[in-house]
Amino acid sequence: MFDLSINAFFMQLLTGLQMGSIYVLIALGLTLIFGTLGVVNFAHGALYLVAIYLAVSINDAMGFGMALVLVPTILFILGLAMERGLIQFFYNRPHTDQILVTFGLAIVIQELLKWVFGANNIPFAIPSWGNGIILMHEWFPFLEGFVVYPKWRMILVVVSIVTVSAVFALLHWTTFGLVIRAGMRDSEMLQFLGVNINRRFMIVFGLGSLIAGIAGVFGGPVTQVSPEVGMHLLVPSFLVVVIGGMGSLSGAVLAGILIGMAQSFTAYDINLSTIIIYLITVIVLLVRPRGLLGAKGVFE
Amino acid sequence: MSVLANNHQVQSFFSCRDLNAYYGESYVVQGVSFDIPEGEIVALLGRNGAGKSSTLRTIARANQPALTSGEIWLNGQAMHTMETYEAARNGIQLVCEDRRIIPGVTVEDNLTLAQIAEPIGWDKERVYSHFPRLAERRKQEASSLSGGEQQMLSVARALCRDVKLLLLDEPYEGLAPVIVQEIERMLQEVKKMGITTIIVEQNAVAALKLADHAIIIDTGEIVFTGTAQEVLDNQALREEYLAV
Ligand SMILES: Nc1ncnc2c1ncn2[C@@H]1O[C@H](COP(=O)(O)OP(=O)(O)OP(=O)(O)O)[C@@H](O)[C@H]1O
Ligand SMILES: [Mg+2]
Repeated sequence: MFDLSINAFFMQLLTGLQMGSIYVLIALGLTLIFGTLGVVNFAHGALYLVAIYLAVSINDAMGFGMALVLVPTILFILGLAMERGLIQFFYNRPHTDQILVTFGLAIVIQELLKWVFGANNIPFAIPSWGNGIILMHEWFPFLEGFVVYPKWRMILVVVSIVTVSAVFALLHWTTFGLVIRAGMRDSEMLQFLGVNINRRFMIVFGLGSLIAGIAGVFGGPVTQVSPEVGMHLLVPSFLVVVIGGMGSLSGAVLAGILIGMAQSFTAYDINLSTIIIYLITVIVLLVRPRGLLGAKGVFE
Repeated sequence: MSVLANNHQVQSFFSCRDLNAYYGESYVVQGVSFDIPEGEIVALLGRNGAGKSSTLRTIARANQPALTSGEIWLNGQAMHTMETYEAARNGIQLVCEDRRIIPGVTVEDNLTLAQIAEPIGWDKERVYSHFPRLAERRKQEASSLSGGEQQMLSVARALCRDVKLLLLDEPYEGLAPVIVQEIERMLQEVKKMGITTIIVEQNAVAALKLADHAIIIDTGEIVFTGTAQEVLDNQALREEYLAV
């Protein structure tokens, strides 16, 4: 049952943070793509799936360093190709069309990967520097006795924080970011000012995909590497985007942590922990249809 | 010499030929043609829903309404083959009817956004010395500006580009009379700079004060072309098409 000790509370906090980290990384790409292009990309989970399979393969063949460099790069290019080859034809179509076509694409990718790699979980060998545990009680003296946490999971949290910060810095401190933020508000006006906004939005799609690549490299060992992982993560990540507010980056971060925490703190009851995220979604949407930090007018 | 004489078609600085444009099924620009010599100001007038904004948007190469046929020439360049952003890079600047200030970013950011793509026009210092009100509010969130200030910013933003044809859609709309006077003074200055301009206005008298020529459209078609003075003098014409 519910354990009220400080140690249990602390561990659940960490687990919530770690689960939230993956949701945030995937939701970040989803919300960026929705906010700029207005496309609901249900293939985003499949991009994560591609990333973990690429990561595990490159990691085995050439080591983790190469996986870290190559996977996000390949995913960036894959994102651009996907936008040019498919998504761009659906900009002016209803969201339902977008969902259908990207969902279909997700299934195709999933089945292809299953065909190539098989349906079973593939072990992901964590590099030696990421193995082992962290002695939490040495860092946090208020903990009682001996408290440890897997080092890799902490690394995942840190990677997520760094990635989110980098995206925020890009969007808020660079001219590219200014153009993107302005384009999210009024893309036509930017074109009237001579900006080729569609090319920049294509790059954003690539970026969203690149972030799924980073998520795959660090998340693979945690979420496991099997074909259904993409869909398993897509639903919560999509709900994170909805709860946070479609197109809102800070909303995605907030909602990602919220959902991670909610699942972690209800983990003592498997049923509750499964439905909690839908429960939160329903409540948030009833009270605030645009999501926690969503822009006024979107889905309101 | 003879080759030149045969092939050189005498063309105005700005010229549009038989423009036809649609919002979906609805035919909003119906065979519009006119020319503007360099440096002139034309008032484009007409009733609500006559198709004035649609005509400006068509010339600015907006995606909607969609241009289905016709030609748009500016300074010898074919604008009708261009994308929206390319038309803007080649000198067309549309100051939209609802001003379209980008919210969520500062006044200065709005100017910066006009200076992303080459070729650019005014630098920020020049904007600020011309519009001290904008200088004072440069760090302010842009949508917090008053209506008049937003209009100023909207025009200033166009001047930050290398503008060859300025399209003004209802610059006086929704502004108090004192503010209208202020914007009028600003547009008089723009006129002195010799920028070729099309101005659309409900306030026909105000537009005609600024303009050299006038065009009146009704249900997407041109029904009158003449000098600004002719419209001011012709009460019957104004009553028929402008309801003033
Ligand atoms: N986005 C749109 N979709 C469909 N039809 C439109 C759209 N915008 C305008 N129209 C229609 O096109 C016609 C011309 O409209 P337009 O805005 O060009 O008129 P206008 O002369 O600028 O009028 P106003 O003085 O009210 O601004 C009108 O019948 C209008 O209803
Ligand atoms: Mg109009």
